[in-house]
Amino acid sequence: MSQPANAVKKPVSVKKTILRVLLYFVVLDVCIITLYPYFAMLCTALKSRAEIFSANGTILPVTALWSNFIDIWSRAPMAKYMLNSILVAGGSTLIAMLCGIPAAYALARMRFRGQTAFLGFVIVSQMFAPVVLLIGIYKVMMTMGLTDSIWGLIFINAAFNQAFTIWLLRGTFLGISSEMEQAATIDGCTRVQSMMRVLLPVAAPGIVTTLIFIFINAWNEYTVALCLISTDTLRPLTVGINVFNGYNIIEWQYLFAASIFAIIPVVILFMGIEKNLVSGLASGGVKG
Amino acid sequence: MNKKTLRKLEPYVWIAPSVILMAVFILVPILSVFQLSMSDVSKAGRIKGFNGIANFTKVLKSSAFGLVLKNTIVWTIAVVVISTVLGFILALILNNNFRGRKIARAIVVFPWATTLVIQASVWNFIINKDYGTLNTLLLKLGLISAPVNWTPTPEAYFAWEIACGIFVTIPFVCFCVLSGLQSIDTTYYEAATVDGANYWQKLFKITLPLVKSSLTVSTVLNIIYVFNSFPIIWTMTKGDPANHTDTLVTYLYKLAFYNGRQGEAAAVSVIGFIILLICASTYMIYTLRKGDDV
Repeated sequence: MSQPANAVKKPVSVKKTILRVLLYFVVLDVCIITLYPYFAMLCTALKSRAEIFSANGTILPVTALWSNFIDIWSRAPMAKYMLNSILVAGGSTLIAMLCGIPAAYALARMRFRGQTAFLGFVIVSQMFAPVVLLIGIYKVMMTMGLTDSIWGLIFINAAFNQAFTIWLLRGTFLGISSEMEQAATIDGCTRVQSMMRVLLPVAAPGIVTTLIFIFINAWNEYTVALCLISTDTLRPLTVGINVFNGYNIIEWQYLFAASIFAIIPVVILFMGIEKNLVSGLASGGVKG
Repeated sequence: MNKKTLRKLEPYVWIAPSVILMAVFILVPILSVFQLSMSDVSKAGRIKGFNGIANFTKVLKSSAFGLVLKNTIVWTIAVVVISTVLGFILALILNNNFRGRKIARAIVVFPWATTLVIQASVWNFIINKDYGTLNTLLLKLGLISAPVNWTPTPEAYFAWEIACGIFVTIPFVCFCVLSGLQSIDTTYYEAATVDGANYWQKLFKITLPLVKSSLTVSTVLNIIYVFNSFPIIWTMTKGDPANHTDTLVTYLYKLAFYNGRQGEAAAVSVIGFIILLICASTYMIYTLRKGDDV
């Protein structure tokens, strides 16, 4: 597409045409395979239970049963699950940012003893997934009385996303020249003011990317919620939807209808930040 | 003097919230796991006393552990290696200029954004022998005449779990590599073309060395994510039958929360740490050395 227009008029070699066709063929295949699970999910979510289990199965639903998407809200406390997911994801994003922005700022703009050690701890903490620490986390939550609470999930998600927050934000801040902030300081701004008024607006794209990424991570978190939450109405979507995935009966149509509600907001958010996130990952990685 | 001390202390105030958050919810659990791993723990979770390495010997001696460790290694290496190779190839493809490239990139990101537990449920449904859509699809296309049992053995089920793991890991690799590819100056390729280099020479002499750092970052992070990945296996098989599809994390979850053997579960955690710490230090050395270069 970036080629100049007159390039099109040149005779295209056979080899090039074949490669082009091959390229489209591969890309199309990749897209079909990637979308297939979502397609299967949607088709199944629109079928009746009898149709799913019928011996003469079809790919597409014979009659689209849109009522499945309504039924799930009365068959399980879906609204509660949804609200819990929003609270957990929103709460942990807020806390992770409130703690992460000043820390990233200090790492990018100040020199202090223990800086390398702190950065080292941040990187190493990323190596520990909550699942390996689950027993320890459970113990800590017991002592704090947060085992069966949304707050527990919020804190855990915020803490385990801290490394990523600091990493991405530090990369963003380092990529912005500090001259403007220095000028603001000379004009009589305090450090906090110069950060809030000068740096953060410029860093907004990076901040939004980080924000959305933590939100998605917390929204998709499953293991800690599975382990800590025992009250059904406190479960987030990822754990809650499994009420349809029982030991004896699996209500596939409801499970997938509910899953679609859990997926859509996140996929939309993700497509929005995909480009920035990748460059953030790369710059964070290179700058260590 | 007083002002100077304040200035010196200032950075610590800025990092304090983050340090406290991570100390309470990451460092304390780490210490707690280490303590439990060397304690005699009752079924109810009360620590009855110090028992040295008894938990570790119990874990290492148990018949299941060897199998679980083998599964973990197979799972981690298979998922990381295959998804890195496929993700790299996919990135090379998506880096071409073609119509619909933006749409293709948006589609490829889907599995990355979807929570693993849902991905695993769908794949579990797709490969089901009796009503799975894979059999329906192949029957309709006339490729098979009777439903195929895709999971006749635990090993086959484990292979499907690996396939699912690869499927969800590819996008991450692909986008890391893409970001590396896009930062390469095109004049390198033009110069190489003038010098008569063919596609493969350009791939191995220019592309690969220049995306090496992105590839290393994605690989190391993937080793950690995949090693610790819990939802796929938990959703598809729960590690059954008889630990045949268990990895360390599903195994320790069952030990701790199903069998009430928290001491042993903590010992499994510590063994997991040690393996991961080796990865972590490799990673640290890599990034710090990288920092010196810049």
